Amino acid sequence: MGLAWFLVYWKARALWTGDERYNEAVRFWAKIFGLNFAVGVVTGIPMEFQFGTNWAEFSKFSGGVIGQTLSMEGMFAFFLESAFIGALIWGEKRLGPRNHFVAALAVAMGSWSSGFFILVTNAFMQHPVGYGTGPDGNLVLTDVVAFLTNPWALVQFTHNQCAALVTGSFAVTALGAFYTLRSDHLDQARIYLRSGTAAGLAASLLVAFPTGDSQAKMVAHNQPVTLAAMEGRFHGGDMADLTAIGQPNVKLQKLDNPIPIPGALSFLANGTFESYVHGLDEYSPDLWPDNIELLYYAFHLMVTLGMIFILLMGLANVQRFRGQLDTSKWLLWPLMLAFPFPYIANSLGWMTTELGRQPWLIYNLLRTNQGYSQEVNNGNVIFTLIGFTGLYFVLGVMFLYLVGREVYHGPVSEPEAAHG
Amino acid sequence: MVELWYVLIAFMMTVYVVLDGRNFGIGVLHLFVAKTPEERRQVVAAIGPLWSWHEVWLVGFGGTLFVAFPRLYACSFSGYYLALFLILWCFVLRGMALEVGGHINDRMWQSFWDAVLSFSNVLLGLLFGVALGDLARGAPIGPTGDFAMSFFTDFGVRGDVGLLDWYTVSMGAVCLVILTAHGATYLTWKTEGPVHDRSAAMARRLWAVIPVLFIIISAETWYVRPELAGKMVGNPVAWLGVAVFAAGAAAVFTGLRGGLERRTFVGSGMMIAGLLGAGAATIFPVILFSTLDPANSLTAYNTAAGLSSLELALIWWPVALALTCTYFWFIGRHYAGKVKVSKDTQGYY
Repeated sequence: MGLAWFLVYWKARALWTGDERYNEAVRFWAKIFGLNFAVGVVTGIPMEFQFGTNWAEFSKFSGGVIGQTLSMEGMFAFFLESAFIGALIWGEKRLGPRNHFVAALAVAMGSWSSGFFILVTNAFMQHPVGYGTGPDGNLVLTDVVAFLTNPWALVQFTHNQCAALVTGSFAVTALGAFYTLRSDHLDQARIYLRSGTAAGLAASLLVAFPTGDSQAKMVAHNQPVTLAAMEGRFHGGDMADLTAIGQPNVKLQKLDNPIPIPGALSFLANGTFESYVHGLDEYSPDLWPDNIELLYYAFHLMVTLGMIFILLMGLANVQRFRGQLDTSKWLLWPLMLAFPFPYIANSLGWMTTELGRQPWLIYNLLRTNQGYSQEVNNGNVIFTLIGFTGLYFVLGVMFLYLVGREVYHGPVSEPEAAHG
Repeated sequence: MVELWYVLIAFMMTVYVVLDGRNFGIGVLHLFVAKTPEERRQVVAAIGPLWSWHEVWLVGFGGTLFVAFPRLYACSFSGYYLALFLILWCFVLRGMALEVGGHINDRMWQSFWDAVLSFSNVLLGLLFGVALGDLARGAPIGPTGDFAMSFFTDFGVRGDVGLLDWYTVSMGAVCLVILTAHGATYLTWKTEGPVHDRSAAMARRLWAVIPVLFIIISAETWYVRPELAGKMVGNPVAWLGVAVFAAGAAAVFTGLRGGLERRTFVGSGMMIAGLLGAGAATIFPVILFSTLDPANSLTAYNTAAGLSSLELALIWWPVALALTCTYFWFIGRHYAGKVKVSKDTQGYY
């Protein structure tokens, strides 16, 4: 999702300025995007099916509401993406420059609308709005506008899409740094570094503030027990500390060796340093997230990585404005090596979201242990899980190999020479 | 309203089978009609850059089923658990074969993915045929509407049935032959040279066998669900399906005789669509018949979403459909005519 807008931007530059170097960049990154897309599309289809196969009770209960957005995702987003992706990767000559730009734009819009629909669905699970209960006890949609403009969805969507842009920016920057350090494809490397670091700084800042900040406030107000678990806050009180370092000890209900920042959590959650922040002790343990330790580390590591991203991209932009980025080896190395970390941060963010919602599947409406398919036995679930693990592992290895191969070959100037 | 949504999901399924069915058929033929690496690239190029758009019709079908018949979606997807995962894994393999098969210009790499393409498509064609057989035969649905089905039980068609029995397997085989003929017809239309000639010969042979198979499977269906024949005769919408089927058959027959490749292909698509349409009309309102007790059957009425959900979806759904047809026109026109293997088709990456 992050890369898609780089392709649109470069294609637009190429179209308006006639600068062939931007077409070259699009051609090269479209191949990498294509590999991402191939893996994404084949692994995405199982997810659409799993609502029915593995979460049948959840689907029956909430199908009247989330069926709408999941169906919209298929009908609006997937159709749009899948129709244009082939043309984006292979169709430059056939489509001509203008329609090729349309294809890039269509793929970007398709992937972002897909993100929107799926996040509205997830937001409903986090913070259900616009629903009622039907005669059979299942949920029905009563207010579609409220459902689609769920405040949780809007915050989550902007936060997630900024994170996607961070990921794309770091990938583009890393490759620019790689080629610069190797003194290879320098023309292209300069474009990657320039676009990557500019977008990367903006996105890294936006992902923290205002989107990440609003997300945390959203959790604080709607899921106070989740916030308490994320922060390892076992006891409620005024002027809550923010823990920079410390390990939650759930057994003894305290944080080991904490380094607190006084009042900071109160400020982040409520906007004032003195305000009250709830603790886990105010809630019955059967409402606590199941895995407090994992939730705590996921959240804290995500925040730490987010700050490192800002620092790295900030430095990169300072050097870029001084015109020294190409020669700052000490900075190019970390920029190159940093590209996996946004992926890790994204995963940690999703872990925070999903672990934090536990024990609920739909917050305060349906528990996770009420939602799975009753008719599917454990053996079948484990069998298919093992199958997917193996298959995805092979896919992952192959994906890395093929991307590595493209990177090794590097961008080439003519579309004809793109293989061989 | 429920009836309308039943028509729409049947429509989605039919379009999906017509579009992607030819790719399953091509999978069967791939290793036979294309002998050299170049010819195999030609077949992949004929499948074209819109294959994932074809596949999305199935996702669209799943989504439409979810929004309109959530209970059916939940019960059938969890009931067909293992079969669906097998299908999903085949989709993963098929997608990878198409996307990365031409990525490296190396003989072993390409041979491997050509074989994977064939294998996964053959299995997909068979499994979808079996699924159609299962739809006609029914599933062991209990009083709550839920069921869990194993791969096979005693291979019988009554009582506690499994995914596979003599009827569903023969339906799978017949469907695979029909889809292979459909794929051969498509390859004949889209290719030139040896691939074209071999496909054309294959198509003629397959279409000659199909009437025989069709009579056999009809007789089997009559044995498994005797009441369906009467329901079909009494249902004017099913006649419409039969009419489309007959028109398609006529087009295939005249197309094959006159060497009109496009007409044959359109005819074969119409035959499949007519068949599925007539079948869908016949079983209505039952969607998934219970082999344990007909009273447990999942019908359009007892699985549909509430009226407000159906009405809401009817506002946006046609817009999405119109849009996707526009995309098809926008992209498809650039890929008209016979394929030539070149860098701007799917054959090469």
